[in-house]
Amino acid sequence: MTITEALRITQSVPRDARPFAVTLACGFTPLHLQTFLAAHLQQALTDRKVTITSGLYGNLVGTLENISGAALPDGLVIALEWPDLDPRLDYRSAGSWSASAVNDIVVSPRSMLDRIAAALLRIQAGPRIALSLPTLPLPPLFHTPGWQASQHELALEASVMHFAADIAQERRIAVINSQRLAEQSPAAGRLDLKSDLYTGLPFTIEHADRLASQLAQALAPPAPKKGIISDLDDTLWSGIAGEVGPDAVTWDLESHAQLHGLYQKLLGSLADSGTLIGVASKNDPVVVNKAFERKDLLLRPEQVFPIEVHWNAKSGSVGRILEAWNIAADSVIFVDDSPMELAEVAAAHPGIECVLFPKNDYHAGLAMLRHLRDSCGKERVSRDDALRLDSIRQGAAFREQASGSAAPESFLEQISAVVTFDFAAASEPRVLELVNKTNQFNLNGGRYTQPDWQKLLSSPGAVLVAVSYEDKFGPLGTIAAVAGQADGKRLTIDTWVMSCRAFARRIEHQTLKMLFATTGAEEIEFRFTPTAKNGPLRDFFATLLGEEPQSEFRLTRSQFEAKCPALYHEVRQMRRAEAHG
Amino acid sequence: MDETRQRLTNCFQVVFPDLPQEAIATASTATVATWDSVAAITLMNVLEDEFGFEMDLDDLADLDSFEKLYSYLQKRLQVA
Repeated sequence: MTITEALRITQSVPRDARPFAVTLACGFTPLHLQTFLAAHLQQALTDRKVTITSGLYGNLVGTLENISGAALPDGLVIALEWPDLDPRLDYRSAGSWSASAVNDIVVSPRSMLDRIAAALLRIQAGPRIALSLPTLPLPPLFHTPGWQASQHELALEASVMHFAADIAQERRIAVINSQRLAEQSPAAGRLDLKSDLYTGLPFTIEHADRLASQLAQALAPPAPKKGIISDLDDTLWSGIAGEVGPDAVTWDLESHAQLHGLYQKLLGSLADSGTLIGVASKNDPVVVNKAFERKDLLLRPEQVFPIEVHWNAKSGSVGRILEAWNIAADSVIFVDDSPMELAEVAAAHPGIECVLFPKNDYHAGLAMLRHLRDSCGKERVSRDDALRLDSIRQGAAFREQASGSAAPESFLEQISAVVTFDFAAASEPRVLELVNKTNQFNLNGGRYTQPDWQKLLSSPGAVLVAVSYEDKFGPLGTIAAVAGQADGKRLTIDTWVMSCRAFARRIEHQTLKMLFATTGAEEIEFRFTPTAKNGPLRDFFATLLGEEPQSEFRLTRSQFEAKCPALYHEVRQMRRAEAHG
Repeated sequence: MDETRQRLTNCFQVVFPDLPQEAIATASTATVATWDSVAAITLMNVLEDEFGFEMDLDDLADLDSFEKLYSYLQKRLQVA
C-alpha cells in the first residue's frame, strides 16, 4: 500500500459511519505508521470510521497510564521500540554508549517493561490491545562485532521476551508474531535513519506499512473459517486407495508422503480447537472405511464428521456436509488435489474457498498448511470449541431420531433436555463471540466491540442471560445469549442470538418464558431489524405474532402464552443473585 | 492547466481533502492551517508516489507553497 492509497482509503469512509476510536501508543512520531494503521483498520472494519489518536512523543508508558476508564478507546495499538525501554537506545539521543552505560542499559528496561505491563493490566475490561515488540535493530553500542550477539543484547531481548510471554496470557492482548513480520518486512529494510533524525519516524515507508498491516490484523482479526472439507486420495493421503488398496496409501517420511502426514496433523490440531473437519471423496466406501481403521492415521477418525464417500458429484457431498454443520459456504474451505473438482464445488457453492492440495510442490504445500492455520486459527480455545463436533454429531442423531419419531412431542419429552440460564455471564468471552458470529437466529445482526459490549451491559437495568443446553445426546455448551434493559415492568431486548446447532429444541420458547417470569414484564420490546440471514428468527416470531416482523415490535405475555408449545426442559438458573447484586 | 500542475493539484487534494479546489493554486504554509510538518512529510511522500522519484528531506523546508513545489517538480522532471 502506498501513502496515497492509504489516505484515499481513510478519506472514502462515509462521515456518518459509527466511529472506531483507536489509541496508538508509541514513543516516536507516528506519521506514516498512523496513516497506514488507519487505512488497514478501515479495510478490516468497513462499516466503521476509524479514528486514531496518538500519545505524547517519547512517552509511550505515559500514554498507557493516561488511558482512563471514562473514555476508553475501542482499540489500543502499542508499537514498542528500544528507545521506549531506555532513551540511550535512541539514535536521536545524546546519551552515552560507554561500557558502564551499556551495563545499565541492560538493567533499566526491566523496570520500564514492568511499568508497561502494570499500565496494561490496569485497563480493566477495556479495549482489545495489539502489541508489537521492538522491530528495529539495536544501535551498534555493544562491544562485540555485529555478527556476534553480545550478552548485553541477548539479555535485553530476553527481558522483552519474558515481558511478552507474560502479557500474552491476557485474553485481550494480541502480541504480533515477529517471525511473520520479518517475512513481510526484512530487518535490513526497516530503519530509515535520516527520517528518524529529521522527523522522529524511524521506519521506512515499507516497514511502516507492513507493521501497520500486522497490527491491524491483530486488533481486528478476520473471523476464522469454521470448517474444512477434504478430499482423500492424493490429499489426505498419497495414492489412490481404490487402486493400491487401503493398506498401501501413505503419509509418511519413508514413502516421501510426509506432506500428507503434515496435512493430517494440521487437520487433527484444528479439529482439537473446534474447526469442523469433513470428507468429500469419490471412492469406494468399503475401501475408505478400511483406510480409516488404520492405526497409524494421524487424523483420528472421530475428529471427522461427516464423511461423504460415493461416486456422485462432490458438490452434492459438500452441500450435505454444510447442511449437517448448518453453516454457510463462505465459512468453509474445500481442499482437493483436482482443479476440476475444486471448480465443480466452487460453481455449486458460491463463497466457499477452494484450495488446491499441491502434491509434489513442498514450498506450496507449506504455504497451504500455513494458510489453513491462518484461516482457521483461534486466539483462545474454549470449552465450547472442544464440544462443537460432538454436538454436531449429536445434532445429527437428534434430527435423525426426531424425523423418525412418529410422535415429535413424545420425542422432545423423552430426551431429558436441560436448559441452564446464567445471569452473570457478562465477562464470559464465549458470549460476545456468540453475539458477533451468529447470523441466522440474530435479532438485528448487531456486532459489538468489547468496550461497546461493556457499555451496553453497564447501562441502568441491563440484563444479560447466557443459555446453555444439554440432552441425552450430549451437551451443546453455551448456545444462546439475550441482552437488554429492564425498567419496572418494561423489558427491551437489544440482542438475542442462538446458535443454529440449537434449533428445533424449543430453547427460544423457554428463553422467552424465563424472561417474562424473571423480570415480571407484561410486554417485551424487541429491537428487531431484518437482515439477509436472520430468516430463522423471523420464522420463529411469525409463529408467535401471526406474521413476520418488519421492524422493532412488542410481544405481550398473553400473546406468547397463547402460542407457546409445551416445554419439556428441566430449567436451571445460575448466579441470578450475583447478577442482582 | 499543464499536466504537472494538474498532478500536483491532485496530490494536494489527497493530503488536504478539505482545501477548496480554487485555493490549491495559491496554497502555502501561511494560508493552509493544516500544512504543518507532518502534512509536509505526507505531501512529500504522496508526490513521490505520484512522480516516481525520491525527494530529499533537506529540501522540505523550502518547499512551502504550491508554486515552489510546482517549480521544483518542473526542474526534477526536466532532469529526468
